[in-house]
Amino acid sequence: MIKIDPQSAQSAALATQFKAAPFGPYSADLQKLLQLLRWGFVRGRTIIICTKPYKEWRLGRMAPRRGLPVEVSEREVFTDYGAAAWACFRARWQEVVGQPCPVK
Amino acid sequence: MSERILGYSDRLSALPGDAVNFKISAPMPGKFKARLVRLICGDDSPEGPGFKSKNVDSEIDGTYPARHQPILAGSYMWVTARQPFDLPNFTVQAMIWPTLPGNGKPQAILGNYDAANGSGYALYIDELVCLAFRAGKNPPVSTGVKMLARHWYEVYAVYDSGTGRVVVGHNMMLTYHGMPGSVSETQMLAEPMGEGGRFLIAAWNDDKFASAHFNGKIDGPRVSGRALKPAEIERLRDLPLDVELAQYVVAAWDFSRGMSTVKVTDVSGNRYHGRSINLPTRAMTGWNWDSSDFNWQSKPEHYGAIHFHDDDLYDCGWRTDFTLTVPADLGSGVYCVHVWQKTPEGKIEDYIPFFVRPARGTATAPLALLIPTASYLAYANQQMISSWWFDELSSCKFATMSSVDQYLEEHEGFGLSVYDEHSDGSGVCYSSHLRPILNMRPKTDLWQFNADTHLTDWLEKKKIPYDVITDDDLHAEGVDCLRPYRCVMTGTHPEYYSKAMLDALQAYTNGGGRLMYMGANGFYWRIAYHAGLPGVIEHRRAEDGMRAWFSESGEYFMSFTGEMSGLWARNGRPPNMLVGNAFAAQGFVESVPYHRTPESQDPRVSFMFEGIGADEVIGDFGTVGGGAAGWEIDRADTRLGTPPHALIVAAATDFPDSYHWVNEEMNHTHSAVNGDTNPRVRCDMMFFETPNGGAVFSTGSISYGGSLAHDGYKNNVSRLTENVVKRFVDPTPF
Ligand SMILES: [Fe+2]
Repeated sequence: MIKIDPQSAQSAALATQFKAAPFGPYSADLQKLLQLLRWGFVRGRTIIICTKPYKEWRLGRMAPRRGLPVEVSEREVFTDYGAAAWACFRARWQEVVGQPCPVK
Repeated sequence: MSERILGYSDRLSALPGDAVNFKISAPMPGKFKARLVRLICGDDSPEGPGFKSKNVDSEIDGTYPARHQPILAGSYMWVTARQPFDLPNFTVQAMIWPTLPGNGKPQAILGNYDAANGSGYALYIDELVCLAFRAGKNPPVSTGVKMLARHWYEVYAVYDSGTGRVVVGHNMMLTYHGMPGSVSETQMLAEPMGEGGRFLIAAWNDDKFASAHFNGKIDGPRVSGRALKPAEIERLRDLPLDVELAQYVVAAWDFSRGMSTVKVTDVSGNRYHGRSINLPTRAMTGWNWDSSDFNWQSKPEHYGAIHFHDDDLYDCGWRTDFTLTVPADLGSGVYCVHVWQKTPEGKIEDYIPFFVRPARGTATAPLALLIPTASYLAYANQQMISSWWFDELSSCKFATMSSVDQYLEEHEGFGLSVYDEHSDGSGVCYSSHLRPILNMRPKTDLWQFNADTHLTDWLEKKKIPYDVITDDDLHAEGVDCLRPYRCVMTGTHPEYYSKAMLDALQAYTNGGGRLMYMGANGFYWRIAYHAGLPGVIEHRRAEDGMRAWFSESGEYFMSFTGEMSGLWARNGRPPNMLVGNAFAAQGFVESVPYHRTPESQDPRVSFMFEGIGADEVIGDFGTVGGGAAGWEIDRADTRLGTPPHALIVAAATDFPDSYHWVNEEMNHTHSAVNGDTNPRVRCDMMFFETPNGGAVFSTGSISYGGSLAHDGYKNNVSRLTENVVKRFVDPTPF
C-alpha cells in the first residue's frame, strides 16, 4: 500500500494541485492520496461545518459519540467553500500522516 | 448552537375534511406563533429559484402557549398484564447477544428495578462490562468477568430468600481457548429488595420513565418461582418448556409470536403478556439460528430474539397544540405549518410539511405529483456523516455538516433513518414520521423533499395545474388513487417502494396511464408499511445493492409483513420493468449534460423535442451540480426488463471518476468502477409506450429537477419537460 511521504516533492505537488482545484478534476495520484485521507469514520477528525448556509464555513470536529457538542473552530472563518476544503485537507493531512502538510 | 422550535403532524397526507394534529415543542418561554402556508419552492440557495410560499388564512393562524415536549428514545418491553412478580424465591434468565457492552452505562436485561428509589431487582450488564444483579440497596453482585460484544450468552440470576443467597452467572455459547465458558458469583443479600416498579425487559424503571436501555438481542427470557440449579436453567432455554420444570415457570416470553405486532406473548400459561415500546427490531435471528432456514415464517423457533437499541424511536407521543381541519376549498398541494418564536438573537422557526389531496376519488387536474413520502421516511433525520465509515469515499468530499446535521449530532433521541446505524453499529430497520424530521423541510439540502420543490416551483411557474398524492395513499388505496389522472409525475428520488405501491404504478401504466419519472434510483428498495401502526416503514438491507449497512444473515425478511426486503431487482421486479431505467451510478461532485441520440429523431418522440435543436446539448446548467444529469443516474438494460421498444432519446456519459458504479452489477471486484473508466456509468433519458395507450418518460437523473428554473425557466430541460407534460395529459392514446 502506498504511504504519503510528507518530505517528497511529489506529495507537495499533489497538495498544491488540491489547493488549486479543491473539487477536481484530480489526477489519479491525487485521488489516491485523498482516498488515504478519507478512509474511515470521520468522528474525531477535522471536518467542515457550514455555519451560515451557502455563505460561511469553519473547521470542526465531532465529539467521541453522538449527543455531545460539535467542536467548531473559532480560528478561521471561510466565506469560500473551496478555501474551507483546502484548510480541511491540511488539517486532515496532519491527522493522518502525523506531520504538517508541506504546502501552506 | 441555538435551540430549535420543533414539530410534527400525526399524518403527512390529508383529504379535505381530515383533521391534522400538530405537535410543537417551543424552547423559548411564553408563546409561539403559527400560520398555514402553501409551499412553492424550498430552495433558498443563491443559484436557486429562491424560497417561495404563499400565506393561507386558516383556523390555525394564531399565538399558542409555548411548551417543551420531550423525546424519550430507547426501546424496551413492558409486562403490562398485571403487577408481576412477588416471588420469595426466583430465577430470571435469558439468552442475550450484547452489542454495545462497555458504553459506560448500565444496560438492563430484565427485572422490576426502579432506579428512582433503588427498589426491586434487575439482571444487567454493568459499567465494567460484566453481568451483574442488583436488588434494592444491596451492593450489586457482579461476575467480574468482561463480556464480549456480538456473542450469545445464557445469563441468569438465582435468588433464594431462605438463605438470602444470590447466584449470578453466564454461559457462553461459543467458547475460546483460555476463556472460561461458564462463570458465576455468589453473594448474600443483607437488605430487602423493596417493591420495585414495572417488570421491564431491556431497560429498568426510572420512576415512570425507562432508563439503562440494553443494546443487543434478547431471546427466551424466563422467570421461575424457584431457585433453579444451573443444569435446570439450561433445560429452560428451549420451547416448549421442559415438562418437569414448567410447573416452576412463572413467565416465559416467546418473542417469535406476534412478530408483526408490538405485543409480546408469555407462553407459560400465566398470561404475563407485554408490549414493546419504540419498536425494537423483531424477526431477528435467535441464539439457536443455524442457517437451516432464512425466513422467520417457516422456522419461527429460530427467530425468538428481539434486538433492542437505546436510540430506537417510534412515536414521540407529543401533545397536540392545534388542529387543522383541511378546508374543502384549500386546494391540493404541498403545505407547511410555519411556526416561529422570537429570540434575543432574532427568530427561530420551522416549516412542518404535509400534503393535501383533492377529495377522495376526484381529480382537480389531469396531472398528479406523487410525493415520495416513503422515501422521505427512509432518509428521515439521516446522520450518514457519523454512521458511514465510507461517507467521504462515497461523496468524494470532506464531510460537511449542515445546521441540521449538527443539531441531530448534538441532540440524541430524534430517531434515525434507514441509512444509519444505531449506537451499537447495527442497521436501522424502521423509520417513522411521528417525530420532528429536520431534513424533510424547506431551506435544507437539495435532496428528497426540498429537491422535489423544484418540481412544484416549475409547475406553478408554468401554470400547469396539478394535484398531489403521496406514497402513503398509493400504498393504502392502490391504483384507485391514480386512476383519476391522465399523468403521474414522480419526485426526484422515489427510491423506496412497497409491493402495493409498485403494483399500483405498474397497473396504472399498463392501464394506459402516463408516468413521468423525474428522478433516478427509483423503485429500488422493497419496504413494508405496518398494517396497524401508522406512519412507519420497515426495510432490510438484504443481499445486494448500494447499502448503508448489511442486514445480518437470516434477517432479510421483514417483521411487518414477512416479505423479503432488499432490492426490487432481487425480488424479480427490476425498476426497468416499470420505468425502463435502473440505478447505474452515483457521484456528488458535479453533474453533466445530456446529448441527444439518433433515436431522438424517431417520429414517436417528435412531440418531446419540439423547439429543441437536433444537436442541442440538453441541460448543461442547473443548481444541482451544474448539469441536468447527475447525483444519482439510471441506465437502460433490456436484460433487466427495459422494454425492447424503449427509445433512449438522450444520454449522458461524460461522468468523472467521482461517479461510482452500483455494486449490484459488480459480481466480482475489479478496478474499472468509476465514471471515467466504466461505460455502464451512464444516464439514459427514455420514452416508451405502454399497453392501452399509456407511456413512460424517464429522466434517469436526480439533478434534472434542479435545471428546470435555469435562465428564468427558459431552457431546454424546461421546454422538453413541458412538451412531455402537454402530450402526457392529452387523452389521445399513444
Ligand atoms: Fe437514495
